[in-house]
Amino acid sequence: MDISLLFAQFMSGLARGMMFFLIASGLSLIFGVMNILNFAHATLWLAGAYFCYTFWYLMQDYGFGLWVSIALASLVLAAVGWIIEVLLLRRVYERKLPEQLLLTYGLILVLGDLIKLTFGVEDKVIVRPPLVASPIFLFGVPFDSYFVFVILLGVGVAAGLWWFLKKTRYGHIVRAAVFSREMVSALGIRIPRIYTGVFVMGVFIAGLAGAVQAPVGSITLGMDMAVVVQAFCVVVIGGFGSLLGTFVGAMIVGEVYSFSILFWPEGALVLIFVVTAFILIVRPWGLFGTPMRT
Amino acid sequence: MKKSRLMVIICAFILLGGLPSVDKIQAAESYNLGVALGLTGTGALYCKDGLDAIKLATEEINAQGGFLKKYPIELFIRDTQTKPDVAVRETKDLILRDKVRTVLGTYSSACAVAIKPVCQEYKVLHIPAISNSESITKDNFSPYTYQVVPNSYMQAKAVVLGVAELAKKKGWKEYVTIASDYEWGRSTQENTVALLKQIAPNLKLKKEFWPPLGETQFTSYITAIMAQKPDFVIGSIASKDNVAWMQQAKAYGFFDKIPYPGSLISVSELIIEAKTLPRGMIGLARAPFFAHLDVPMMANFVKNFRAKYDRYPSDWAVMEYDAVYVLKQGIEKAGSIDTDRVKDALKGAKVDTCRGQLFFRTIDNQLSCSSYIGVVADDPKYPFPIYHDLVEVKGPDSWRPEAEILADRAKEKK
Repeated sequence: MDISLLFAQFMSGLARGMMFFLIASGLSLIFGVMNILNFAHATLWLAGAYFCYTFWYLMQDYGFGLWVSIALASLVLAAVGWIIEVLLLRRVYERKLPEQLLLTYGLILVLGDLIKLTFGVEDKVIVRPPLVASPIFLFGVPFDSYFVFVILLGVGVAAGLWWFLKKTRYGHIVRAAVFSREMVSALGIRIPRIYTGVFVMGVFIAGLAGAVQAPVGSITLGMDMAVVVQAFCVVVIGGFGSLLGTFVGAMIVGEVYSFSILFWPEGALVLIFVVTAFILIVRPWGLFGTPMRT
Repeated sequence: MKKSRLMVIICAFILLGGLPSVDKIQAAESYNLGVALGLTGTGALYCKDGLDAIKLATEEINAQGGFLKKYPIELFIRDTQTKPDVAVRETKDLILRDKVRTVLGTYSSACAVAIKPVCQEYKVLHIPAISNSESITKDNFSPYTYQVVPNSYMQAKAVVLGVAELAKKKGWKEYVTIASDYEWGRSTQENTVALLKQIAPNLKLKKEFWPPLGETQFTSYITAIMAQKPDFVIGSIASKDNVAWMQQAKAYGFFDKIPYPGSLISVSELIIEAKTLPRGMIGLARAPFFAHLDVPMMANFVKNFRAKYDRYPSDWAVMEYDAVYVLKQGIEKAGSIDTDRVKDALKGAKVDTCRGQLFFRTIDNQLSCSSYIGVVADDPKYPFPIYHDLVEVKGPDSWRPEAEILADRAKEKK
């Protein structure tokens, strides 16, 4: 088989993987720090797509409209995340896991209906600006130029999160809170504020991912359900709470799917679940997670 | 005390006198019409338009007093979420709780196939006006199900006739298919491949791709198809998946490199993708309004639909609107709203639709409606592209021969 074709398939897998990384990184961050499994993460992602459409619709005559819309949608979602954390999540940190799951599952239904009431049931389509509307050629292989932006953004988010967690004082506090909330609290640092910050950041990334997804196809109700399972596969493979794991998990999901379409199209989705099941059996805490988190 | 008792008696008389007679009570009986559409989920794009058309038809008929001018229609609308299990649950609820006499629907042939036996069991008419898998009317035949959309075989035949002609002209040899992995996608793809084998046996199918229903990212499929270097690609992808597929394939320059004839491009796609749809593409539609503006019923429908909703109706709106009026004509022919009598009246009946006068084939209750193939092109009359060089492939020229249906049913029995 021609090497350029394998390269094209690799790039498609990379683009797919990066989309999943953007969705799953916020999910993993929230779980890693707060120990909350946010079932509503994909619905917040969907809300990000709708907000992006709304802003783009208002600015569609301008070339910069899409880029500004992506930024604004992410910020709006961050605000939504803050409201959810302050009004709801904060009250269940000390409760048992099933109650937390029920709350975030309930959020899916409430947010889903709110999205329907606010944006209607019609599908929305964003017309991409000319800059990202046509293919570019990488080593003679055509590639959707918008996905170059997606890949760069994914790498940027990964690097930014790594820098934040490893290199900043606030990041050190967040990581310390993962291991001992009591100790961090004893140092006079307010844990609830840390949690609010982390949740807002996680939802901001969800909104960003949704906004980035918006110009890829049409935006429609129920889209969140189509991606949520694969997003969970990403974090299961990589390890809940591990940023590196989420990145590697997303790349595995993207590339396995992409190459199996080339060689075994019927089994593409099945293979992802086979990999996930295998990881769950041999290493339940994921490739880069720690046993503590199981 | 006596005075007040007298007043009560007088009031009772007035009230009784004011009450309608038994005949009047019957006249006020409503016709409960169930609607089971995928108002959320992957089919929402098409179903919203379909529902609006049903509401319009209902208003028009009720303005004349309802069915037979004495049974006003009452709509009971349910969301199947484009999921067969939900569709079955909602349909049962429509029948048992809301006492509907007919269920109009559905998006997703899997939903239509799932609710067909339910309607048959409870003797309720079933008119799927969007989902079009051939198996809805061909297999496990139900006398209560009437199909007003060109089925997957008819659409496949229309595409195949066009593609075979193009293949001869352009010397095409190999092709690949991409179809959504569910009932309609599978059935359309299988019919297309089987018919191409018959009509153009020299064409070779290189590979099949089956993206799951609800796929949002087609990049890997696009590059994998391009890697195959086929002479052309046949696609069976619908609704929002189709929008995503077209947008992404266009961004790869896919349509500039590989001919993609005969994919489903309904009026919904023509409107939504007005700015991005590649001009010159050969598309397939089920009931484009602009093909029949010479039919008074269609012209009237488009005028009323635009007046009410401030937009043009899609294929799905046309077919759901037709479904309500087909039911009306069945009831008028039966002279009754009794479901069994209406069902019998529609058997083989000629009906007036927005697409002209058509008839139901007796063997499978399939309407003799056409499929439409054309070249996507701008038109100064509309703010979106329409089809030019439109070819209408008539139902009787494209539906499966009766002998094959009988043979399949004989196999079923065995």
